[in-house]
Amino acid sequence: MRRTAAETGWRCRLIGLLALAGIGVSGYLTWTHLTNQAVACGQSPDCDIVQQSAYSEVAGVPVALFGLLAYVALAGLAFAYGRLSEALAEYVPLGLFGISLAGVLYSAYLTYLELFVIRAICRWCVASAAILTLILVLSALELRTSQT
Amino acid sequence: MMPARKVRRSARPRRVSSLQILAVVGVAVVAVALLVVLNLGRQGSGPARSAVYPTGLTADGQPYKGSPEAPVEIVEFSDFLCPHCADLAHAFDALAADYIETGKVRIVFRNFAFLTPESVQAAQAAECALQQGADKFWRYHDELFARTGAGRSAFSNAQLKAMAQQIALDRSAFDQCLDSGARAGEVEADKAYGQGLGVRATPTWFINGQEMPGALPEAELRQVIEEALKGVEKK
Repeated sequence: MRRTAAETGWRCRLIGLLALAGIGVSGYLTWTHLTNQAVACGQSPDCDIVQQSAYSEVAGVPVALFGLLAYVALAGLAFAYGRLSEALAEYVPLGLFGISLAGVLYSAYLTYLELFVIRAICRWCVASAAILTLILVLSALELRTSQT
Repeated sequence: MMPARKVRRSARPRRVSSLQILAVVGVAVVAVALLVVLNLGRQGSGPARSAVYPTGLTADGQPYKGSPEAPVEIVEFSDFLCPHCADLAHAFDALAADYIETGKVRIVFRNFAFLTPESVQAAQAAECALQQGADKFWRYHDELFARTGAGRSAFSNAQLKAMAQQIALDRSAFDQCLDSGARAGEVEADKAYGQGLGVRATPTWFINGQEMPGALPEAELRQVIEEALKGVEKK
């Protein structure tokens, strides 16, 4: 049985839109990191300091690329929600929740690094952390709804 | 609308169990912990910030770290944009506690800026930091090498100044020095001096006068230093 548009939930559509914004942010940061471009950051050098710090890569992979992959997965899941069979769709909120939880936890660690280790705040990274937090809250609500 | 939805929901079996949610939370936590641990590994290879050793200037004005009476002297010719130079600097840092802090090895730095225009700028910036003290030079040196590999834009004028800000250099003196190109002659002279010794690439370093081309991993570097120490003892 296919779900109606109303049933797929406004939350999932909102998560999809947030994830698209996240793709924009993390995509931009990945691109600037890989091509060594300066990051648009007002007049502040902080974004570049963060982007070029030793913490901006894990095992040679830009941290921003991890974010991009997570957002692509989130957007894919969110927009597939209404198109999947019911059996599969049951697990979409769980997937959204798991990915965004990992994202929020890792963002928290990165924000700690920015505040106390690198001592520079990258506003793009803050935007990404905010988007992920919103997605986590929405997906937790969706998960609770789908459980009851 | 609402009643119909309720009926459908209640008729549906609960497929996502609390156990599954817990499992997903567990996987998320483990994945993040793994990323953090991998990142910490990188942190360890960075410059040692709490190092305690004397710093100063040699008779001909080159910055050194370690005891001036150390039996082993290493003179390194480096370009701040050269990744192997950063590797060598990090290897020296890793061995600092055993050799530099114990007064066995002294390291003298000389610029050999030849890779890119940014190399020359970075070398001049380091010389400007040196004008504020040898300890400031070494902190700035660590900041520069922490960014090697991040590409040329990491060494733009704005970035060089941001680094100076980060380690609390006197910004107006630093900016004035960098913008005026006051230390350009010094950087050129360092390179010419290196070329006179036969330096063609970076890093090239001399341990008690013996030329050692290229970076060495920590273990091999330790071996070379041990041999040099033994050589001094014999004499």
